[in-house]
Parts: sequence; structure tokens; C-alpha cells
Amino acid sequence: MEEKNLTQETEIATAPSQIDDTIIEVSDVSMEFFTRDEKIDNLKELFVRLLKGKAKRKVVRVLNNVSFSVKKGESIGLIGHNGAGKSTLLKLIAEIYKPTKGTVKVRGKVAPLLNLGAGFDPESSAKENVYLNGAILGYSRKEIAKKYEEIVEFAELGEYMHIPIKNFSSGMVARLGFAIAIDVNPDILLVDEILSVGDENFRKKCARKVNELREKGVTFVIVSHNMGQVKSLCQKAIWIENSEVMAYGDVNEVCEKYQKYCNEQKI
Amino acid sequence: MNTKENIFQRLLAFLKKKALSFKKNANIVRELVKKNIKVQYRNSVIGALWTVLNPLLNMLVMFFVFSVVLNYGSEKTYALYILCGNIMFSFVRASTTQSLPSIVHNRGLLTKNKISQFVFPIANNLGAVVNFAFSSIALLGVMAVVSIIAKQSFFSFNLLLVFLMLPALFLFSYGLSLILAALYVFFRDIQHFYNVFLTLWTYLTPVFWKVGNVLDSKESDTQAMALFIKPMLRLIVHANPMYHFVTYFRDIAYGCVENGVSVWQTFPLLGTLYLIGLIFAGIGTLIFSLTRSKFIYYI
Repeated sequence: MEEKNLTQETEIATAPSQIDDTIIEVSDVSMEFFTRDEKIDNLKELFVRLLKGKAKRKVVRVLNNVSFSVKKGESIGLIGHNGAGKSTLLKLIAEIYKPTKGTVKVRGKVAPLLNLGAGFDPESSAKENVYLNGAILGYSRKEIAKKYEEIVEFAELGEYMHIPIKNFSSGMVARLGFAIAIDVNPDILLVDEILSVGDENFRKKCARKVNELREKGVTFVIVSHNMGQVKSLCQKAIWIENSEVMAYGDVNEVCEKYQKYCNEQKI
Repeated sequence: MNTKENIFQRLLAFLKKKALSFKKNANIVRELVKKNIKVQYRNSVIGALWTVLNPLLNMLVMFFVFSVVLNYGSEKTYALYILCGNIMFSFVRASTTQSLPSIVHNRGLLTKNKISQFVFPIANNLGAVVNFAFSSIALLGVMAVVSIIAKQSFFSFNLLLVFLMLPALFLFSYGLSLILAALYVFFRDIQHFYNVFLTLWTYLTPVFWKVGNVLDSKESDTQAMALFIKPMLRLIVHANPMYHFVTYFRDIAYGCVENGVSVWQTFPLLGTLYLIGLIFAGIGTLIFSLTRSKFIYYI
């Protein structure tokens, strides 16, 4: 009886520290999609297919039994060829997708920076978009108002904030998106290919800010085809190929394996 | 004891999480409502004044066509009759037609951020409430004019019942919006279908015509009319939720005063409105909740 109590206590004692350390836990995740050409999006087509008996679903598996965990303050790079499932994995971490199988556990505030202009409304002005995005990331109007000047300053868009986003250049949109995402104090920042946009000066500024945030203990999950960038920013890396994890671990080892594989493929 | 505390703590954590996500969604909805209203009147000279002018001009057109040209509705309150019907119908028309494609149109936000899908229909319906408030200014203006012409004041405290009616209207419109928005994700031809249906619905709702004139007149009745068509029409009119909404709105706006009826007699109708609202909101929430996790793969 006493022994049992003891083990229970130790479990309770160790459990919180374990949870506190791990900020992202992806366990045994599989993700399936319906293929696009089989997608039925109107009634007419549905009736025709039902009559023909062809309303079957064709399923494509994008991720297969993926498992990994990220500790607080750690940064992880996702590498692999186009269409390997990297962006899907990022969206699973952002809880935009629900996994078909397995679980994704994320603790803390996630700021997704997926593609250019993630979630901007083209008709609204930059200022309105800052407030809308702030609200989406979980901030009240007051809190965003406090950060507003800082965001504008970082994005270097002072005089353009009242212009609709649709008139912005892609570089300007990227700058605004990045400025918002880093200014909302996220615990986890999901970055999809966007660190390589903008002009040279802004890129350097971003790199400085990313390092600053990493020192503060922000966790980064970065999708990139730039091995140099992944090596300089991340401690760990995951190489995904054909929906499977090919390698997972130290960033240098994984990148080396990936590059070797790429070279072999070319020959 | 331990387990009890555990359950209590978990419940507390759960409630805290719910409250946080509610606060977050409320912030998003507020920004969306602001955005929608701003976008609606961008590049227009008089801006938000259109929300007041729009129902007024619509009323004038209908009043001219039916009262002046066709000599229908000769009584002095006919302008109010049209305006009340129009205000109610445009609430539902605007909120549902905006909500129908809202999930698909906001794919940019939905595929890149974690947002509750409910915020878009809610924002559109709250936007309709804001427009309703502006339209009420037009209504008060027309009431003043009609009161002077009819030499009888139609202003009364009955008007305050609007605040009791609005939640019911909101629930009905919100429920319908949820159903349409969810269906549109899977079947894009719903939009064309709904547009045609809206035209039919506008005519089936007594916005400018009077139920009594059509159903109770016995002058030119053929046998088929009396036996078959009229009962059918009566059924359709009464099965139409909007019929009850416009009738109630007219009663509290001027009808009770005009006919010298106590406003208490309209309370059963208010109950009907809430019943309709709750049924639609219930069905809508159910359909939307069951399908919303699949939206992302179809937009």
C-alpha cells in the first residue's frame, strides 16, 4: 500500500516538469486528404456520381506515422522536397488541420506565419488588418493599440498603413505579416518559407529579431529549402520525404543526409 | 477528497479556457463587424448615411409604384407598412446572403490561422443589427411625417418592444445563415438556388401586399380558388417565418396604436417568434457544428 502511494507521488512530481519542458508533441500522426479531381462541390455532380455509383472517396496519405517532440526554446527545421508534407505538418501544429490518426499536443501561444500575407483581407487597410490579425492571435484592441507603433516601425510602413493591402507589394505584405507575428509575444512561431522575402536590409533585420526571440526562449518551427538558414537557426531538423520521416535529430546530421540523398537523386 | 479537488480544478481550468476563447472570438467578431461596415461604404461620399437612406428610398419606390401608380394601399399608414416590412426583410436578406459564402470567402483566414468558423456568420448578423439600428432612424422619421398627415401620433412605448423582438430575429437569421454557410462549402450551387428562392420569398412575405386583401376577399372567387388555392396560400403564408416577424414589427411600430389594440395581445406572437428563432438557431448550430471540422478540406 505504502509503496503504491510512493510511486504515485513520484509520478506526480515528475509529470509537471516533463510537461513543462515539451512544448510541441506530435505522436504517431497520419494525415489523409481527398484528392482534388474526386472532390464534388455541387449538387448536380453529386447526383450524377451517385447515379453512376462513383461517389467514392479517393484518399491520399500526406503524412504517415510521424512522431517527434520539441522542447521549449528549441528550434526545429522541416526539410524535404516540395509536396513532401512539410506545410501540412505545420498546419497540424497550428491546429488548423486535425490529424486523421494520432495526436498533436501544443502548449502556449502559436503565431502561424504561413506563406505570404497569412490571413490578410485585401480590401481592408493595413491598419485594420493589424487589428484583425491581433484579434485572431488572441489580443484585445487595447493590447494591439499599445503594440501598434512598434509593429509599424518594424515593418517600415509608416505612411502606407491606411492603404488597402491589395495595393501592397508582396515584400510589403511579408514585412507587415512578420512584424505582427513577432510582436504578439508568441511561444511558438511557425515559419513557412517567408524568411527569404523582402530586401536585403529587411532580411538582416528579421534574422536579428529571430535570434533575439530565440534567446528569449521562443520556439521556432521553420520550413525552408535553404540549408544554411536551417543550420544557423535550428538545433534539430526533420527530413520528410514521401510522407514519411526519413531522419530526425541533430540539424547537421539530418541536413547532411538530405543533401546526400538529393545529390544521389540527381545522378 | 483528492479526486473531488481534481475534478474541481479541471472544471475550473476548462471554464477558464472557454472564457479565454470566448474573449478571443468576441474580439475577432468585433473587428470583423467593423471591417464589414467600413468596406460596405468605402469610396462612397455620404458613407454610413446610406444605411438610413437605403430603406427610405426603397420605401419611396414601392410607395410610388403601389400606392400612386397601382392605387393599392390607400390608407395613411401604408408608407409605414412598406417600411416595416422592408426593414425586417432586408435584415434577413443581408445577413444570410453575406453569410452564405462567408466560410469560402474567408479561406485566406481559415487556412492559415486557428479561428472558430462561427465568427463569420455571427459577425454578418451583428452587422445586420447595426444596419437595423440605422434603419430605425428612417422609421422614426417616416412615423413623424405619417403622424402629421394622419393627425394622430403613432409614437408609443410599444416601440421599445423592438429590443425584445431583435434577439428572436437574430436567432432566426443566424440559424439560417449557419445552415446556408455550411451547405455552400459542400455544394456551391446553393448560392444560385438561394438567390432564386429569395426572390420568391420576398413576394410570399407580405412586404407590400396585405394578407387580408388576398385571403379574405370573396368577390372574384371561382370554386377552385375557394376550395384549393386559397387554403394552400393560407398555409404557405402562415408557414413563412418572415410573415410572423413583419406582422409583429408592424404591430409594435404603429398597428396597436392605429387599431386601438392593447399591446399585451401581441405577446403570444412574440412567443411564436422566439420559438421560430430557437428552432432555426438549434438546427443551424447542429448542422454547422457537425460539419465545420471538414470545411478546411473543401474551401
